[in-house]
Amino acid sequence: MLKFLFKRALLTIPTFFALMFLTFAAIRLVPGDPVEVRVGEHGISPERLAQFRHELGLDQPIWLQFWHYVVQLCHGDFGTSVATNRPVLTEFITLFPATLELGFFAMALATLVGLPTGTIAAVKRGTWFDQLLIGVSVAGYSMPIFWWGLLLIMFVGERWGWTPVSGRIDLINYYYEPKTGFMVIDAWLSGQAGAVRDALRHLILPAIVLGTVPLAVIARMTRSAMLEVLSEDYVRTARAKGLPAWRVFGVHAMRNALIPVITVIGLQVGTLLAGAVLTETIFSWPGIGKWLIESINRRDYPSLQGGIMLISAMVIAVNVLVDLLYGVVNPRIRHG
Amino acid sequence: MAEILLGESSPPAPQSPSRAFWSAFRENRGATIGLAVVAFIVFLAIFANVVAPHSPIEQFRDAVKAPPVWERGGTWRFAFGTDSLGRDLLSRLIFGTRVSLFIGVSVMTVSFVFGTLLGLACAAFGNAVDIAVTRVMDLIMAVPSLVLAILVVAVLGPNLLDTIVAVTVVYLPRYVRLVRASAMGELQREYVTAARVAGVGQARLMLRTVLLNCLTPLIVQAALGVSDAILEAAALGFLGLGAQPPIAEWGTMLADSREFIRSNPWMVTLPGLAILITVVSINLAGDGLRDALDPKMRRS
Repeated sequence: MLKFLFKRALLTIPTFFALMFLTFAAIRLVPGDPVEVRVGEHGISPERLAQFRHELGLDQPIWLQFWHYVVQLCHGDFGTSVATNRPVLTEFITLFPATLELGFFAMALATLVGLPTGTIAAVKRGTWFDQLLIGVSVAGYSMPIFWWGLLLIMFVGERWGWTPVSGRIDLINYYYEPKTGFMVIDAWLSGQAGAVRDALRHLILPAIVLGTVPLAVIARMTRSAMLEVLSEDYVRTARAKGLPAWRVFGVHAMRNALIPVITVIGLQVGTLLAGAVLTETIFSWPGIGKWLIESINRRDYPSLQGGIMLISAMVIAVNVLVDLLYGVVNPRIRHG
Repeated sequence: MAEILLGESSPPAPQSPSRAFWSAFRENRGATIGLAVVAFIVFLAIFANVVAPHSPIEQFRDAVKAPPVWERGGTWRFAFGTDSLGRDLLSRLIFGTRVSLFIGVSVMTVSFVFGTLLGLACAAFGNAVDIAVTRVMDLIMAVPSLVLAILVVAVLGPNLLDTIVAVTVVYLPRYVRLVRASAMGELQREYVTAARVAGVGQARLMLRTVLLNCLTPLIVQAALGVSDAILEAAALGFLGLGAQPPIAEWGTMLADSREFIRSNPWMVTLPGLAILITVVSINLAGDGLRDALDPKMRRS
């Protein structure tokens, strides 16, 4: 297991190097001068401008800049945001819990609803429930989630007034220093009455929006994986010996049906991060998705560079984890 | 006529491949409906200037934010209402089909052609070429699609053409991996060896013999790729990084009307609905295509 993990991790190193080169090269090609953006367009002497360039290392040859970039990255230095003057890594770590919290609830929703509905559809194949699920999952998979978010804001949030529509908590009624960065946990730690409930209420709409596509994919994948497993002999045996239905479907069949489903759940992490960009923009959710868009608009190269590096590194890491999870679920492909 | 008579009187002859495909496709009700809607959308796109009641960019200053016909005060002059600049929403939606289909089809075509060539090159040359191409594709797949598209647009600048380039880059790996895997499988088969022995050149072998035999999954991927590209381009438009005004692009229209979500909700509802209907129908037709082309791939 350890050996496999090591080998798998080693294989990602060239990818990381290519990634560094890609982000570095791409950002250099972006039109617009970061120094001018930082100092504003007027009222600065050429000497000050040259000094700024020197401070940012922009007066050095490109290859030297890349070399410095790689060395810095290896020291865990992802650069300094041109807009806020704070280290990119610090900004990322501050904002990331918000995205993680949102992603966790979205994925929990998708899995908790997707697995049972997919299973029921497979067991009751051909019934109205099955047909409905197929129809709804095609719609969910095809959903422009930015529009879906606006619709929910329009109806659930504004017209019916059931949930808040932006931010992570009601800042007028609740204020406390962030300890973990996870609003629900911080709210609980603060001990203020109603804070946890308010934080959860803020999560409802964004989690639904972000969870829609994964939910559709998981439900559909579970259904087809289940259909394949249900015709196996061991499932018939389990039924014949009189086990209750939930045990046959939920344990015996599920264990094998889960293998392709886990792959799909793992693959959704990339989708989730891409979706977070849209969801966070719509709901003013202060996470890394919204931060990336703001960085583009501010021409904040280091933030964009570091942000994309960190996000991609996470996707690669999750893919390795998914590979390992196979072994846990299915001993037949356990890695020696 | 003669054909029909023949079909009635003689015992059923084996179906031709295209007939077999059609009868399999038509069995799937969702796919048939999807295809019909796609055909309608293509019709709208081609004849947009005939079908649309107004120009998509003409501003009717006397009818700014006019409500659609089903709301109080709506008129048939602007059946779907107008936007904040007084442009007819129905006409913009109809012309929007052009933009979206253009994006979808060009992304599909370019990534299909380049992806196929790269995938075949991997399979044909192996070693260094294969490793280099596969690594680059792995890299592209590691960056979340929209984030990568944003990066490309940031470099190239936000406009329609660069949206297409950005989304093409994002979808390239799918074709490369698909072609590479199936071509490598086909190369092991005996008919390839036979063709080699018969003296078929490498280029002809790859482009004719091998490619034709891996075409089925590619066609399905291409069909579903159109809808994904439309969705991705609309998302970029929504973020202000896609087609720029006054082009009638659905995602951009949504972004422009966001601030009127409370006062004039139809401005937000209709463009999104257009995206959803287009993408759903292409996906339904694509699923039907897969099931009809290859029953083995059927997702039961």
